[in-house]
Amino acid sequence: MKRFTIAFLAAYIFLFVWGWLINGVLLKDIYAESAHLWRPENEMRSLFHWIIIGQALIVFGFVMIYASGFAGGGMIAGIRLGLLLEIAAIGMCLGFYAVQPIPAKLIFYGSIGGIIEMVIVGAMVGAIYKPAPAGSSSQ
Amino acid sequence: MNWKKFFFAFLGAFVFLFVFGFLWYATLMHDAHREVPTLLRPEADLKSYFGWLALGQFVMAFFFTLLCARYVPSGRAGAGAMLGLLVGLVYAGPHLISFAVQPLTFKILFGWIAGAVIQFAIAGAIVGAIYKPANEHIMYVREPSH
Repeated sequence: MKRFTIAFLAAYIFLFVWGWLINGVLLKDIYAESAHLWRPENEMRSLFHWIIIGQALIVFGFVMIYASGFAGGGMIAGIRLGLLLEIAAIGMCLGFYAVQPIPAKLIFYGSIGGIIEMVIVGAMVGAIYKPAPAGSSSQ
Repeated sequence: MNWKKFFFAFLGAFVFLFVFGFLWYATLMHDAHREVPTLLRPEADLKSYFGWLALGQFVMAFFFTLLCARYVPSGRAGAGAMLGLLVGLVYAGPHLISFAVQPLTFKILFGWIAGAVIQFAIAGAIVGAIYKPANEHIMYVREPSH
């Protein structure tokens, strides 16, 4: 449980900072080109807690999946899990692109950012979370 | 990896995700989506983007099936459904983030989250039922003849 919590916290902090860097700084101009699709900035700020809950849910689900089926494989297993989840998520993004007038370059750069993000999250979780030794119930 | 079973599991997941997507998002949630017309492409444009939708479903089904096949305790439908449930939770996160940055309604948010959890739990059960783990750990040893 202790390693689960540490893995969760480390991955969450990274996801939060990376999300801000990608969406709040690097892709800012592309978001501005499609302003009609987004809430005004003051409205986003008042709903910021949903972003925090959403990111926490992503990381919690990730660590749960890793702990229940990939633990023991270390960083490589974590990276593999991150890649599989993110590429499937890119499929979902293509579905959104088909129905929403989101700029194609936002999907493209967002997907690259997402792959880097999930590879690093996977490596962190894989490096931190270790399965409990046989006969132990401490994890 | 048993590629034959993988192919049938992928096919089952792809067909299910496609049909579920049509029923849940395009039919049941149609009116809810129309409450935010500025966020959606005009209906006349949707047909020309159908290829992207199909490609997205294909990619999603393929990598979700691969994830299920790599999942260590993949023991049939129950374990697949559990994995699918967790995957649904992971994908519910971006919906919450979308709600914070896009002018979506609560109805759409809950519809998307419920849809993600239900569709991946069922897709996981389908993949788990079709892609049963190989009994690689079972060794057949010939007994010595007396």
